[in-house]
Amino acid sequence: MSFLTTVIKEQIQNFYLIRRLSLYEMKSTNKNNYLGMLWELLNPAIQVVVFYFVFGIGIKQTEDIGEVPFFIWMIIGLLVWFFVNPSITQGSKAVYSRIKMVSKMNFPLSVIPTYVIISKFYPHVALISLTAIILQFTGYPISIYFIQLPYFMLSTVIFLIALSLITSTLSTIARDVQMLVQSLMRVLLYVTPILWSPYLHLPDWALTLMKVNPLFYLIEGYRAALLGDGWYIWSTYSLYFWGVVVVMLLIGSALHVKFRKHFIDFL
Amino acid sequence: MISYNGSERMTKSVVVKNVTKKYKLYKNNSDKLKDVFLSKEYGEDYFALRNVSFEAEKGDIIGFVGVNGSGKSTLSNIIAGIVPETSGDIEIEGKTALIAVASGLNNQLSGRENIELKLLMLGFNKQEITELEPGIIEFSELGKFIDQPVKSYSSGMKSRLGFAISIHIDPDVMIIDEALSVGDKAFAEKCLDKMNEFKEQGKTMFFVSHSLGQMKRFCQKALWLEYGEVRAFGPISEVMPQYEKFLKDYKAMNDLEKKKYREDQMAKRSQAQA
Repeated sequence: MSFLTTVIKEQIQNFYLIRRLSLYEMKSTNKNNYLGMLWELLNPAIQVVVFYFVFGIGIKQTEDIGEVPFFIWMIIGLLVWFFVNPSITQGSKAVYSRIKMVSKMNFPLSVIPTYVIISKFYPHVALISLTAIILQFTGYPISIYFIQLPYFMLSTVIFLIALSLITSTLSTIARDVQMLVQSLMRVLLYVTPILWSPYLHLPDWALTLMKVNPLFYLIEGYRAALLGDGWYIWSTYSLYFWGVVVVMLLIGSALHVKFRKHFIDFL
Repeated sequence: MISYNGSERMTKSVVVKNVTKKYKLYKNNSDKLKDVFLSKEYGEDYFALRNVSFEAEKGDIIGFVGVNGSGKSTLSNIIAGIVPETSGDIEIEGKTALIAVASGLNNQLSGRENIELKLLMLGFNKQEITELEPGIIEFSELGKFIDQPVKSYSSGMKSRLGFAISIHIDPDVMIIDEALSVGDKAFAEKCLDKMNEFKEQGKTMFFVSHSLGQMKRFCQKALWLEYGEVRAFGPISEVMPQYEKFLKDYKAMNDLEKKKYREDQMAKRSQAQA
């Protein structure tokens, strides 16, 4: 438990540092492009168009998901994915690729994955806001369920931080973990309800199996919030999700605190 | 841990006691992985530093000398708090700053952004950063290049920027690892002036350089490292002649003797796990 309090304390005490560093992080990733940070929006936009052609027109999934047209349903899932995917891959290499920059041992190393994730969070907020505005004019006006949105955004961030604490430590020790994470992310896109609906054809047991994935919870939560589709917070699924997050935080902070003094020796 | 009485506390600024840095050499990756996760030890020990002890007073300028691979940079990194020691104690009064050639600059960002980022990571707040920035830019003499990405800098420019940042954070202990050897003479002079200023303020400095001339002019004491152990420590006027004599003897050796010397050195420092 003391590991966990160390890590959480560091996150809170260095909130200012995290915010500033995440801005530099965004700057340095987009510095080489003439369009700069506009790419943070352009990149997802291009992907949405491609996915629309493939799944909306090409394969043409005509069945709507409940009362929601497939395309709108898919876009919300993709928006979350555009945040989660780079956060997990970048988060897992956060420590070993940046520790040289830090150059001081008393630097609170546990904030490195956090600021990398927060740097992906800004474009996510921009994309979600944009989508929420568009939804106003396409038949999904703001409703009481909308207040779930901040909750799910925060939950996603906490989930990603917990996961990155584990992966960033392990990938510093063994670079193979980074490779593994990257391959698993490709699989994850297809076993998470993003591009296809699990409610239409899957037997119950398979659906339950898919729900083991915490991303299932987060993505369905975003949909419930943005489409005004009922309360997704009040369920035993929430309990499960937070159980998983707490366990991940415990493992992640224990690993991180145990190994961080020697991160520099692993380079 | 060491404790001081009142009067000693005033003068000692760095106390290094029995510091050892052990690296592990592994035959293959599986040994490395086993060593991390299993309690049994794998791999071969290699002592980058062994039982290094010395004390520095406030205002001391100490030069580290020794042939390549004798542990000078490892010792600098440990004093600067970048690399952890394996065993032993280090006590330092105040803040340290290491100036090395490759001093952790972000290549994508501009010089100005690097200054801000570096200061931020060192724990300065926005207002302090705004106050420090003009002085650093001025000292670095980068001119227009301050707003260009660091990847376009020459190695001299990078070390100038690193040096400028490090001296402006007002460290109490400064470690200069070969950083002056890439700058031109004029900048080196300027840095030496600045360091003399620091010396008068009672700051402690460590100096790693292969330029013995520079070292003799500037340092009062020298620490001679060999095989990662202290061979001699004392006033520069005593240590330097010994070291110079050693270098002369080493140069005079034939290839076979040199090889033998290096092998002895290796054997002394490594130690296979039973």
